Parts: sequence; C-alpha cells; structure tokens
Amino acid sequence: MTSTTIDSTAARPAVPPLRRLLANSGLSLTAVTTATILIVLAVTDFILQPALLEVTELGYLAQTALPLVLVGAAQTLVVLVRGIDLSVGGIMVLANTTTAVWVGEQGGNHQLLIFAILGLAACAGLLNGLLVAVGGFEPFVATLGTWTIFNGLALKVLPTDGGAPPPSLINFVFGETAGIPNSFLVLAGVFVVWRILRASKLGTRIYAVGADEERARLNGTSVVGVKLFVYALAGLCAGIAGVLLAGVASSGTPTAGDPYILTSVAAVVIGGTSLMGGKGGIGLTMMAAGALVFISDIVSEVNLETWVSVAASSGLLLAVVIVRSLIDRIAERRSA
Amino acid sequence: MNLVLDYLRERRTTIAAYALCAVLFAIATIHSSGFASASNIRQLLVFASFIGFAALGQTLVVLAGGLDLSVPWLMAFGGLQLSNWTSHGMGGVLGIVLVVAVGAAIGLANGYGVAWLRVPPIVMTLAVGGLVQAYLMSIGQLNSSGNQAPQIAESIATDRLGPIPVVALVWLGFAVAAGVLLSRTALGRRIYATGASDTVATLSGVNVKRVRLVTYMLSGAAATFGGVVLSGYVGSTYIDIGAPYLFASIAAVIVGGASILGGRGTYWGTVAGALTLTVLSAMLPLFHLDTADLEIVYGIVILVGVAFSRLGANALQMSRRGGGEEKPADPEVVDVA
Amino acid sequence: MTAGIADAAASNAGRGGSPAGGGAAGNGLEITGLRKRFGAVRALQGVTMHAQKGHVHALLGENGAGKSTLIKILAGVTRADAGTVTLDGAELRLGHPRAAAAAGVRSAFQELSTIPELTVAENLLFGREPSFAGRVRRRRLRARAAELLAGFGLERIDPAAAVGSLALGDRQLLEIVKALREPPRILILDEATSALSSEDSAWVLRQARLAAERGAVVLFITHRLAEVREVADRITVLRGGHDVAEGATAEFSDEQLITTMLGRRMERLYPELAPHATDALLSVRGLQVGARVGPLDLDAARGEILGIGGLQGQGQREVLMALAGATPWSGGTATMGGEPFHPRSPEAALRERVALVPEDRQREGLLLTHTVRSNVTLGALRQLVRHGFLDGRREGQTAREGAARTGIPSDRLGALAGTLSGGNQQKVVLAKALVGEPTVLLLYDCTRGVDVGTKAEIFTLMAQLAAAGTTILFYSSDLSELVHMCHRVVVVVEGSVRGELAREDLSEQSILRVAVGTEEVARA
Repeated sequence: MTSTTIDSTAARPAVPPLRRLLANSGLSLTAVTTATILIVLAVTDFILQPALLEVTELGYLAQTALPLVLVGAAQTLVVLVRGIDLSVGGIMVLANTTTAVWVGEQGGNHQLLIFAILGLAACAGLLNGLLVAVGGFEPFVATLGTWTIFNGLALKVLPTDGGAPPPSLINFVFGETAGIPNSFLVLAGVFVVWRILRASKLGTRIYAVGADEERARLNGTSVVGVKLFVYALAGLCAGIAGVLLAGVASSGTPTAGDPYILTSVAAVVIGGTSLMGGKGGIGLTMMAAGALVFISDIVSEVNLETWVSVAASSGLLLAVVIVRSLIDRIAERRSA
Repeated sequence: MNLVLDYLRERRTTIAAYALCAVLFAIATIHSSGFASASNIRQLLVFASFIGFAALGQTLVVLAGGLDLSVPWLMAFGGLQLSNWTSHGMGGVLGIVLVVAVGAAIGLANGYGVAWLRVPPIVMTLAVGGLVQAYLMSIGQLNSSGNQAPQIAESIATDRLGPIPVVALVWLGFAVAAGVLLSRTALGRRIYATGASDTVATLSGVNVKRVRLVTYMLSGAAATFGGVVLSGYVGSTYIDIGAPYLFASIAAVIVGGASILGGRGTYWGTVAGALTLTVLSAMLPLFHLDTADLEIVYGIVILVGVAFSRLGANALQMSRRGGGEEKPADPEVVDVA
Repeated sequence: MTAGIADAAASNAGRGGSPAGGGAAGNGLEITGLRKRFGAVRALQGVTMHAQKGHVHALLGENGAGKSTLIKILAGVTRADAGTVTLDGAELRLGHPRAAAAAGVRSAFQELSTIPELTVAENLLFGREPSFAGRVRRRRLRARAAELLAGFGLERIDPAAAVGSLALGDRQLLEIVKALREPPRILILDEATSALSSEDSAWVLRQARLAAERGAVVLFITHRLAEVREVADRITVLRGGHDVAEGATAEFSDEQLITTMLGRRMERLYPELAPHATDALLSVRGLQVGARVGPLDLDAARGEILGIGGLQGQGQREVLMALAGATPWSGGTATMGGEPFHPRSPEAALRERVALVPEDRQREGLLLTHTVRSNVTLGALRQLVRHGFLDGRREGQTAREGAARTGIPSDRLGALAGTLSGGNQQKVVLAKALVGEPTVLLLYDCTRGVDVGTKAEIFTLMAQLAAAGTTILFYSSDLSELVHMCHRVVVVVEGSVRGELAREDLSEQSILRVAVGTEEVARA
C-alpha cells in the first residue's frame, strides 16, 4: 500500500555517514563526546603521572571518584524523570554519620546494620518521591526542604567529624578482590546494575515518564509508581555513597554533603543527560564524574592552585553546555 | 466585598508569609519577653537584611522563571573585591558603585547564557558562580591587608539613624523600590508574564530574553551590594562569607510564597521570608536548640509553608467558583424540519 | 454532491440499525447519564447513548460539545462524575488507562498517544514488550513491531526510528496500528484522518469497518460528513454536553446534521458583512516557513475578512504565526501599506499593528494564573506607561473598554483567567489582541471549543471590526464558518495557495473540492 503524505521519506536529505555509523553501533553522539572528554583528560593525567598507571594507584583514584559517581547516579535517576534532587547531599551525610556512629562504635552485626542504614536511605528517597509524586510538590522545593531536614538529622547524629566506621568497611573500601581493587568493582557494579535497569521494562517506563508524563500515563504507566521507585533508588545510591565515604575517610564527615549536590548536577549535565528528562543515563554521568576527578587530579599533580581546578570544572561545564545547545539549535533549524 | 476579596486573594501568599512570621515572633516573645526588646529587633532586622539583599535579586530571577546559584559567590566578590580595591586606594562610595557595576556585569553574563544561549539557569549560574569562586580564590592570596573590610562598608552596616540601623533603612528602600518595580512598572508586569508562561509572554509581545537578562543583572548587583554590607558588618571578608546565603536566599523566596516556577509572588513576601528565617534562627537559644535542629525546622517550615500556600490557593479558587459561576450556554432547541 | 448523499443513503439503508434508544438492550455499549465537570465548565451533562457491536457509530458535534471528554472517560484518562458505562450488560470500571485497556477499550487519540522520544517499536508494543527475566529483548521487539506494521501494509515505517522523526500522517497511522495490535472490544477513532491523504484516510475507514465486522463497537469521531456517510451505520450528535440526536445514518441529511450540531439555524449565527476597500493593504509574496510551507502568496485589503482554508495541518498555522512574527521566515517578502513588512518577533509585529489570536488559548493565549485585567493589558503595556510607571487608572479603563468590546462580564475583570469558561477565555485573548488597535488581526481557530452564544458574539465583533477597516485573516477548522464569515477564501494545500474562492463561489463543498484537489480554481 503506497500513499502520498506531506513528508515522504524520500524527500529527507541523505543521512550523513557519521550519523549512520553511530546509529548502527548503538552509541549516541552525546556518549561519544562525553567519552572523548573523559579520554582526553585521562590520557593527559596519565602522561603527567605515569606512576598512576598501576592498579593500586588507579584504585585510589577510583575511591576518590566513588562518592561523586554514586551521588551523580542518584541525581541522574531523578533528572531522568524530569526532577532534581537537592537532598542527595543530605541523605549521603545521614548515611555517612550513622555508619560512623552507630555501626562502628555500637558493635553488633556490621553488615546487617549497614543494610539497615541503606534501607533508611532508600526510605529517605521514598519520602522525596511521595512529596513529589503524591504530594504534588515541585521537586526543587520538596528536596530543598528534605535536604535541610536530612542534613540536620545527620548533624544531630554526629555534630563534628569523628566517629569510627567499622574496620570491615574500611578494609572493603581499600581492599581488593582477586587482585582487582574493590572500588573498581563497585564502579563496575553500578554500571552493570544501570544497564540492567535501562534494558528492562521499568527502564522504558522511566524514560517515557521523563519524556512525556501525560502520554506515559495515557499508555497505562503508573507515573506515581515509577517516580516513587526512582526517588527511592536515588536515595539508596546516595546512601551507598555516604557509607563508602565513611570508609574512605575512616571517619564520619557531617559537612561533606553540600559540595556533592551541585557537583552531581554538574556531572549529570556534562555527561549529557537532559535536565528536561527522558534523555541520557548513568553511564554518561559516570564518565563526566571521571572527567571531573581527572581535572582535579591533573591540577594537583601540576602543582597548580586549587582555584585552577574550580575554574577548569566550571569552564568545562559551561563549554559543554553551550556547545551542545548550539548544536541542538542548528539541528532544529535544519529540520524545520 | 468582592473587591476586597480580590485584593486579598492577589496578595494571599504574602499575607500568609507575614502571618507566619508574626506567629513565630509571638511564640518567641511569650517564651522570653526580651525577644521583643528594641535591641533584639534591631539585631533581627540587620541579620534579615543580609538575607534580604541576597534574596532581592533571587526573587526577581525566580519570578521570571529562573534561578541564581551564583549569589553566594557574588556576595563574597562584593566584599573581597572592594577590600582589594580599597587597599589599592580606590575605596569609598566610588568603589562600591564600581564593584556593584561589575557584579551587574557578571549577572549580565548569567542572563546572556540563560536567555540567548538557552543554558538552563541552574547550570549557567552554577558555572559562572564557580568561575567567580575560582577568581576569588586566585586573588585571595594576593591581598596582604588581611581582608579588612573597607570603612564605608562598616559604617553602612553598623551605623544607626536614631534607633534604626542604617542597613535596615537601606533594605527598606530596596524593598520599596522592588515592590514598585514589580507592581507599578511595565517591566514588573513583563517579569510576571515571562515567569508565568514565556510562550504566552512572547506571543503577547514581551521581549522575554531582555526581561530575563535584566533580572539576572539586578540579581548580580543586589547580591554584590549585599556582600559589601555583610563584610562591613562582620568586619572582615573571606571567601565563604556568602555560603549560607544560597540556601537562605532561595528559602526566603519560597517561604515568602513565591512559586519556584515563576509568575507568582512578591518581594514583600520574600522580606517576610527573610524575617521568618531570621526569627527562627534567633529562637534557637531560647528553646535550647542547636544548628542541627534549626536545619530540621527550616526544612519543615519550607514544606509546610508551601503546602499551606497551595491549599490556600485551592480553597480560594473553590469559594470563588461557588459564587460567580461560569455557565456554558445551553444548546438551543431546534426543530429539525 | 447531493447525488452522492442519496447514493450513500441508499447503500446505508441495507446496513441499517435498530431504532434509537434501547433496541437490543445488553448488546453493545450503553452509556447512561454520563456527567463530567472541569471546574466551571460542564463538559458532559448527562449523556446517554447506545452503540452496538459490529457497527460503526459516528460521534458528531462541534468542538467543545463533549466528544473528547466522552472518549477520555471511555479510555480511562478521566473519571466521570456520574453515570454508567456498560458493555454487553456488564458495567465497565474505567478509572485508569490500564483498566480501560483491560476492559478492551482501544483508542486512537486525536492528540496522539505515541511518545516522540521513544522508537516506533517501543511505542507500538508499550506495555507488551517481549522480555526475558525482566530484560526487554530489543531485537524481538523490533521484529514484532515490524511484523505488526507489515500486517497493516506499513512496511515502510522503520521500527527503530524515533516517533518524533516521522511525518504527522505516519504518526497518525501508527496511532491506529497501536490501537489495533490486539482485537479490541471497543475501538475509538478520534479524528483519525485529520492529517492523512485520501488514500490513507480510506485505509483508516477500512480498518474501522474491519474492526466492526470482527465484533467490536467502533466509535468514529470526525468532522468530515463524507466519511460518516461512507463508514458509519449510526450517528449520535452531541451539543453543549448533551446528546441531542441519535439514529441510523440514513435518517439524517447533511443539513440536518449541521443544524443539530450547531443548535441554531446556520444563518442566525452569522452577521452581515460590509463591503471592503479594494486596494491591498497586506501583500505577501513567496513566503517560506521552514521546509514545508511555501512559496505562498496572498493579498488582503483593508476591511477584508480573508479566510485561510484547507484541511487541517496544511500550513495555515505556520503562515499566521509567521505573519505574527512568532516563527522565523525562511524566505519571501511582504509589504503592508506599501512599506516592507517582515516582523522578526511578535513584539515587532505588534508594533506594526499586527495582532495574533493564537491556536491554544490556554497554552499560548492566556496567563491562567493572572487576572483577566492583567491578561488584557499585557498586549499594550507600552501605551499605559506614564513617566516610567504604569498608570493604574488608564490600565483599568483599557481593561474595561476591552471587556466591554468583547462582551466579557465586567465583574470578571479581577478573576483569574483560569477560572473562566472557554468562551470567555477566548474573549480575553481577543480583547488583548484588540487593545493595540491592530490594522491586521490574525485569528487561528478562535472559535474552537467555544459555545454557540460566544461564537455569535465573536462573529459580530469580527464583522464590526472589518466594517471599521481592520483586515482579518481568519482560519477556522469549521468550513461553514469560513463560508459565512469571509469575503474571500484562499485554500492552502501543502503549504501553498492552491486556489481562491470569491464570496459568490463560497460553499463548504467548493472549499473542500479545492482542498482535496478534485478541482483547481484559477486565481483571479
């Protein structure tokens, strides 16, 4: 059955070869650009510090990146459903301080207690989800409120740096399994879990809700259910970040959460996930987090002052966003 | 009666914000009568004014549908840069004017990125804030005079005109100016329209880009000025001086009843928000609470405050519907020949 | 055309249906006393209808009559305030889209339910993705989608393409394929042919018939009476939220249907049009908007109401938006009163006294959370400024004048625009456009979803404005409005003017003939 419609496919311009190559390989242009940024910075760092190219050293680098990767993952999830989570810093330090105070010093079954703390973190995320999806609060406002609440709770548990995270945690964070640093395994684990989620039906629902909430509902998706899941999972990721940070620092740090909030948003944006929802993913954020870590590593290696690192990260964020915005607008004009 | 209801309804969120502040103040005074003393009130006004300056620009930006995360860095910039220039001989009023002008220029950069390059406000202001932070870190080292606050800043911050602190009067002046801007000028109307729907605003002939640009410029200027005054009060300036004001400026706007999405709210509401936050923080020692408790209270106040203002909005909507209800015309009966 | 109707009526007689109301009770879809309110708007006021299995049932009515609300309730998108829906005697629980789908209701929505950011395959099989251990099997997904498409003869659509990249017509076809991926018990086709070519439209009608033959209740919503004649066995007409007529298709003539839908004799709706000046005020040559619209030429004289006609989606919206400065021009020139005219923004257009009443009053025309007064004066803030400040008195005066001119009750000036009925909301948008005393007024479908009384007021206002010298470019999705309200109609097909009809040649049929391409009318 042939038909004449206004835009027949024949009238469209030939797809440029680069785009076809990308489409066939399953990678998006965004993923390629983000990966390029990461690779360039990584290679620069390795050239400056050849000693870095050794398993234990890389393990330390991975440890530094871990909290940002996890908080970034949390933020990515929420951003995918067109939200934002300012409380990731709060959930993180809540998990962090409770680990330092209640698990180490109180004794008992450490693993069970840590799981309980992670459960608490997920519940904290669930609270966010309830406020947004059921309560109808704007994500910004809801998570602004819960952020200070969680932050305050964390400070009540541990007012200043201190506490004693259990040795088993510290050993885990710094240790290896079968010759591979555990920090690598955690990073890999995050990536694998993400890919599984992405490939599942729930993953499609998450993208549908972020892209077009009304139509997702029209097609039978429980928008409330999806959002509750996403916010809870984000809370869990932030909780894991807090627990691991306690291991990395060998103590609780109740004030450590704040910088992670905005940096997680930066990582999400540099990675290429859209703040409007429905586009992007944790893989992109992980690469961007890595890029940011490499920037600060390079800066400290070259003995530049910290301000250079701040300037470079901000500059990278700005450059990436502006370039992407320009590309989008050129594409828009072409397809009009 | 309808007119009075309309007037109240249009200002309902602002009125609610002041009511909240008054209630809290009353609770504190009941608990400890010294809370209502002249010296305490003066103190509250001064502290609230710092939030007020930071939140002035934030209010305008949020009303137009944006957000300014560079406020804390612009505040630090105000203090540090002015102190830097003062130590090089360029201080005084001229210095303040210049530093505020530069702050406005930084705001202009924010506005350009948001309005013309279509960068999301969170990202643009975050990045620009970071660049300002980096700049401040780089000059911080160079300043040898220990970052002493300039004399003029100190006098604005600590002088009094009779019983009233000068800074409170300056704040009042800004509040009146902002109120007039928003309610009695074309720009104010355009800001509200842009925030409510930039599609509708554009189609109605509003230059949405220019409106947004102006709000970010004003925010840059106001935050910088706030930083100057703050440094004068503290007596010295340091890079993290503005840090608590990011949260405070946004919270004041929200508690003041504005919608974070834009299009609704007033600066007078933000003033009430700033006062509320200050009163809450001053209530701490009265009830033997510490900063951790304050944070929790802040969060609860934000959530409850927003919930109430939304409930109130719905209730008023419903009561109006009960009154002058709209009825679609009934179909005419036609005989089909 | 009359001959055609007689033929269709004759062939329909064979299909026939039971008499209206009752008949074979318990067989098919029974809707009883359905009510629904959206705030101040009473969308459905006790609708009762009966649609049989195996039949195609057309649902007719103007925009705003309640058709979309009715089907949204059936599809589970909205919940009714009162009333029952039963299928074969059993009551249907329709509170959520999934419940409706489980009950066998499948819909092809006018606003399209496919998510543009997802692929064709993901959309077609949404909710039924082939999966293994929670993981969606992408290759199977694509293959199944391809199979599904092939089954409908649509192999040319690529299952891996993002739906947003498809042409509107293909998206509409997808919507129907999606609705038919499993045999439905109730099939709803809402304006399913609005963006389709005649061949694709015929395909849709065939699908409707096939679904009916397989035992479904098929509800067919359309504005095209020719389609109704071709495919529908029975008709229900809605008006103002009520069901006002129901019966076999053969029982109604086109004239009767139109009258029943409109609720008053057509002529009483429309005022007299005064003659207009002869020399052109606005001249457009070679206008190009994006890739799909243009080259387009038109001329409009002072005081002329020029209709922009044609089927939906042929570029009329882009033309009006471009003239209003809301969409950039990719080519072409224009003059107004001899001076070059090329607005780069709505602000610029308004300065040239060209005002637009946009398509979507809620999303493009009104600030719902602001008062009527603020909305009306938004278009002319510059005029209200005195010594740098807004003159409150002048503003109030301007708002009152605007309200009086368009018929907005003066006690509603302080009300929030979102609380007004559709008709009054449209009046506010009009008032805003008129505040600047425009010389050219661009009206895009300004009577859509507006009650009949307000329509009459709007038409009277249009005639008055034209008589006073305002040039009006008028697009309406309702052909009879174009016929009765325009001095002249240019018919747009695929982005260009295909033909022009002078007042004496204007009729719904003549517009349609040019629009559908069966007759080329030479330009004068």
